[in-house]
Amino acid sequence: MEEKKKYPKPSIFKPLRHLKYLFRKPVSHPLDTIFTEKNAEYLNKNNPFRKNKIKNSVPRTAPDNIRGFHVNDWEKCIGCGTCGEICPTAAIEMVPRHDLPRVAGELQQRPVIDYGRCCFCALCVDTCTTGSLSMTKEYVFADSNPDSFKLMPTETWQDQEVELGYQKTEVTDLLDLKRVEMEHIEPEERIKSYIEVVRGYSKEFAKQEAARCVECGVCTASCPVQMHIPQYIKAIWEDDIEGGLKQIYETNPLPGVCGRVCTHNCETSCAIAQRGEAIAIRWLKRYIIDSAPDEMYEKIFNEPVSEVIEAKVAIAGSGPASLSTAYYLRGLGYHVDVFEEKNRPGGVMSYGAPQYRIPDYAVEKDINFIKKIGVNIHTNTRVGTDITLEELEKKYDAVFLGTGFFAARKLNIPGSDHPDVMGAMDFLPITRDFARGAIKLDEINVKKSVVVVGGGDVAFDVARNCIRIQLEKYGKADVKLTSLETLDILPGSDDEYIEGKEEGIQFFLGNGPQEIVVKNGKIKGLRVWKCTRVFDEEGRFNPTFDSEQETLLEGEQVFFSVGQAPDYTFIPESLKDKVTIERGKVKANKDGQVEGLDWLFVGGDIFRGPDIITAVSDGHRAAVAIDDYLYTNAKKKEQSEYVKEIREAIRFNNPDLALKPTRKRTLN
Amino acid sequence: MTNSINNLELVKELVSKTTTILKEENIDVQQLAFEVNTCDIHHVLSVLKSAGWKQLSYLSAVDWPDENKFEVVYILFNWDKPVYVQIRTKIDRENPSIDSILPIFPGAKYYEREAHEFFGIAFPGNPDYEKQLILEGWDDIPPLRKDFDPSAYSDRKFPSREYPQDYSVTDEKNHSLEKRAERKARAERLRTGGKKQ
Repeated sequence: MEEKKKYPKPSIFKPLRHLKYLFRKPVSHPLDTIFTEKNAEYLNKNNPFRKNKIKNSVPRTAPDNIRGFHVNDWEKCIGCGTCGEICPTAAIEMVPRHDLPRVAGELQQRPVIDYGRCCFCALCVDTCTTGSLSMTKEYVFADSNPDSFKLMPTETWQDQEVELGYQKTEVTDLLDLKRVEMEHIEPEERIKSYIEVVRGYSKEFAKQEAARCVECGVCTASCPVQMHIPQYIKAIWEDDIEGGLKQIYETNPLPGVCGRVCTHNCETSCAIAQRGEAIAIRWLKRYIIDSAPDEMYEKIFNEPVSEVIEAKVAIAGSGPASLSTAYYLRGLGYHVDVFEEKNRPGGVMSYGAPQYRIPDYAVEKDINFIKKIGVNIHTNTRVGTDITLEELEKKYDAVFLGTGFFAARKLNIPGSDHPDVMGAMDFLPITRDFARGAIKLDEINVKKSVVVVGGGDVAFDVARNCIRIQLEKYGKADVKLTSLETLDILPGSDDEYIEGKEEGIQFFLGNGPQEIVVKNGKIKGLRVWKCTRVFDEEGRFNPTFDSEQETLLEGEQVFFSVGQAPDYTFIPESLKDKVTIERGKVKANKDGQVEGLDWLFVGGDIFRGPDIITAVSDGHRAAVAIDDYLYTNAKKKEQSEYVKEIREAIRFNNPDLALKPTRKRTLN
Repeated sequence: MTNSINNLELVKELVSKTTTILKEENIDVQQLAFEVNTCDIHHVLSVLKSAGWKQLSYLSAVDWPDENKFEVVYILFNWDKPVYVQIRTKIDRENPSIDSILPIFPGAKYYEREAHEFFGIAFPGNPDYEKQLILEGWDDIPPLRKDFDPSAYSDRKFPSREYPQDYSVTDEKNHSLEKRAERKARAERLRTGGKKQ
């Protein structure tokens, strides 16, 4: 509190201010006017001396912050249960309400208050994450039946609109709505190299951030793998990195990667984000991984996992979906071989997302553990050429395909066949190799000025990569980014936009590319029209343009980042008719098992998409489905109690499909 | 009335001349706190009283179970020089005892009874310190000790009520809340210790 407010300056005239009360109406409430309609009715019926004499008074007069009975705005309430958690008299119980819709960031339960216990302290109001709970000026409740003192607060009190009494203020709010600031490398500094932009939390800061979590767990249902989020955050607060690491590895074998580049739907649905800044769940996970020494990984499994089931599974591709499948299959006791066409495993983690977002060492840390438990990764082996899918079918008992969307897509507009027009997925793998020193600067085709088309995270990856390469090559950067979407509906994340802007991307949002202008064999720029709408009334992608509002975005090179495409050339003729491909994705059941080809499973971009963590969840489901498919008929070795336990854990944690939260835009 | 900044300096000088200060805390412009050795308490309080800190505003204690100590706090006030002075001292938590300050501040009689009742601290020299003050018929450990469990106490003392109303609406096929609870229990079993906060 401010000193001045605490100790107001004394004055000889101060006592005089009390004189004003001489002219005020005294605050007193006659007994027969302080009842609600329901109370009055009850007393009129039951009081023999004053029958029908009691009047009700709505609204009741009382001090503005009186702590009367609660009301709970169900429109706002998310059923997080924090009120029940804090209640010092254990008066609040959360009851299931399955009649409420099951949506991201909410639980199907609501508080019920036992007024035989409630002490009206208002801690529940002060800690309410949404601000749905408040107290009213109603403080009289009479009933001869003691059983009627358990009440479920709704928007009204006893079905009547009543005046609000105590409500929380900024001072009484018990929640810490501001995130512990994360240190980022300054823009001027970071664009000079591929140094990781986000520095990561130190122990003290991680603990402070962890302390903001109310452990309600509304986030978990939005996580595609349903990580044990509140529990590992609590482990950070209690300084138990090993426990946190074990909890994380139950549901996610790529935590170092996800701690950096996850789409973090958990944060979007975080209860604290209702009124403040979400808990930095992604960065807290990264903190655990960054602070876990290599020896600690030995403790994730108490015994080495081994092949206890005599069945072999081949996996095509080594991206997130494939590695996740491999990890869980290995945990379940299978022999697993992963085939990767490039010379590093990791797929999009090693060749897509840029080094400044996810450095190689972080990818390697995750992959090393997967290798360590006995997953064989064969790099430089392309399924379809080095080894055919038919061979895999013969040699293995089941095959998982996680080949991803690694082909670039370009828009079919005039000029797009020019050699200086590149697709994102042709460009990004080169930049990753450049960042690790495998490719020299002169070998990269980046011109002095470029135009990037697209508004997703990948477009930002291309643009920010270009800035770094241009600076090194020419000492000066000139990158324009244009997308159909304006900022309010931009698909890319807020972080990317903010960081990209800091690094000097020039934005031309809300434009549709019409032509790449080429003169004398050289690109002059991109002609765009103003985009008047992106989606039609039915919400389908159907952009319209205003040809009157035309701009030429000057540049010597154009990059398209308008989505990625799959490459199914590895599927042999013999299987082509049996695999159904709809809109680029393979048709399969919920677990990724291809109908009609029981031995074939799919996951990741070619099945469900669209992000790393969903791919990990596909992998987990596929691994369990492969186990279901192979287990009964396979020869089994004797299993120790611990192996049984791991198998049980993997099957228990098999994730449900996630609830998708609506993203709230904070940028404008 | 003199300026409060000077008053603070004055108290500091007075206390530091009288005894060894273990810890000093400037709470605000009108409040100061000193931690002193237990044996010096009476001396410091007498000196402060003769210097004008005639009012014993409060006497209570703080439980520090991790250190196995009780911290006894005396709060004095001076009506001429408006500064609250807190004198604190730590005593053992096992068989806690500190000599009464009745000879200096007779009004401490009730505060000492209260501190005994809520923390179990003995005040030899105060003939009535064991007499009940507020908690008639108390049959548990003193309630302001941190290891007192209020909910266990209330469960033991008062019957719990089963209410007939059931506000829940359940769908037999919906197990999402149960599954969450199971997952949570599983994750908690994976913990390997860590300092409980």
